[in-house]
Parts: sequence; C-alpha cells; structure tokens
Amino acid sequence: MAKSESPCERGRTITNQVRRLRFENGEMTQEQLADRTDVTRQTIIAIEAGRYSPSLPLAFKIARTFGVPIEKVFQYEGENR
Amino acid sequence: MNRAQKIAWLLVITISLGAVLSCIAFTVGYFMVGMPKALAGLGFMSIAGIGGFGPLIFGKDKGNVTFDERDKQIKRRAALASFGASYLIVGAACMIPFFILGPKASISVTWLPNIFGAAATCTFFTYSVAILVQYGRGGEDGEK
Repeated sequence: MAKSESPCERGRTITNQVRRLRFENGEMTQEQLADRTDVTRQTIIAIEAGRYSPSLPLAFKIARTFGVPIEKVFQYEGENR
Repeated sequence: MNRAQKIAWLLVITISLGAVLSCIAFTVGYFMVGMPKALAGLGFMSIAGIGGFGPLIFGKDKGNVTFDERDKQIKRRAALASFGASYLIVGAACMIPFFILGPKASISVTWLPNIFGAAATCTFFTYSVAILVQYGRGGEDGEK
C-alpha cells in the first residue's frame, strides 16, 4: 500500500489514506466528503495534509463513508510500549 | 478562507494600524507639544474599533456545514491563548509600577481604564493571531 506522505506528516504518528480513498471512491471531491461527514472542507484538507487528527466519531464517520474499517483509513505509527 | 479568518485578519490589521499610528503620533507629539498633550496621539487606537464590525461585514460561510469540531478546537485554544496574554498584561500593569515606584507610592485611577483597554486590545489581537496561525494563514485550502 503506497502512502502519500506530505511534508507536514513527517514526524507525526498518525497517517491517513483519505486522499487515496477519495479517488478510489469515484473521485469523490473534498466537498462531497465534507458534506457526508458533517464537517467543513477545510477540515478535510487539514486531515489529508496531516495537520489535524480527527476525533474518534469523525474518524469512524469517514471510514463508514468509504465503507472500510477505520484502520484502513488511519494508521498509528508510533512505538508500542 | 472562512468567516473566522476574515474577522481575525480585520482585527489584526486594524489593531496593528492603530498601534503603529498611535506610536508615531505620540512620538511626534511628545517632541512637538510635550506631555500630557502628546497622549492625544493614542486616540489613533480607536481605529482598532473598526475591527469590531467584522461580524457585521462578513456574512455566513457557504456550504452546508460552517462550523465543526476543528473550528471548535481552534476557537478554544485561541481563547486560552488570549486569556493568557491579557493575564500577562494585567499582571505586568500591576507589578511594574509596584517595583518602579515602590510600595508606598500611589498612581492615578485614570490608569485603570487604560489598563482595561490595553488588556482588551491584547486579548483580541492574540485571539486573532492564534486563529490565523492555527488555520494556517488561510492560503492552504485548495482542492487537491
């Protein structure tokens, strides 16, 4: 699975596949995803860029919109302790 | 750029403009007419009042959703930052005269509204800057 990592995401422990999943789901626009998940387009942009980590309810909403489990959308890459 | 960012930009611009013009007017006045007439130069700070019309100037954002969990988080952090800044201003206004003038000195109560005004201006300025910094200065909202 190729991950598109923006410079903003470097050093962060949570990465996401929102952008890729949007394109795999009929080239869904950011606006359409925002409408379906009840957030603003700016928030979708910030999530894709790795500048904002969504709350659990929003993360589940996004995963449900794409019809995939949450771990297919968001990945935790921090160390296990 | 959303409504909160537009209002924040208006506040930052008007407060900055008011502060710069006040400083210039006060400095010029100080050397030309001296104190206390030079204090009239601080009247330029009233320009900052234009920023208060931001909510009336800028209408609601387009789109079905105009406010979400990220906006709420950004506003909460900005409010916290602005509270901290105003706390520092009021703290400094109380402590600096104490250390400079000494414990037995007294100051005019006319300073109190000035301290209140300075704290309020600082609160709005810090709140606006915190909003802009957290949103990423508004230039990164293009479709990708």
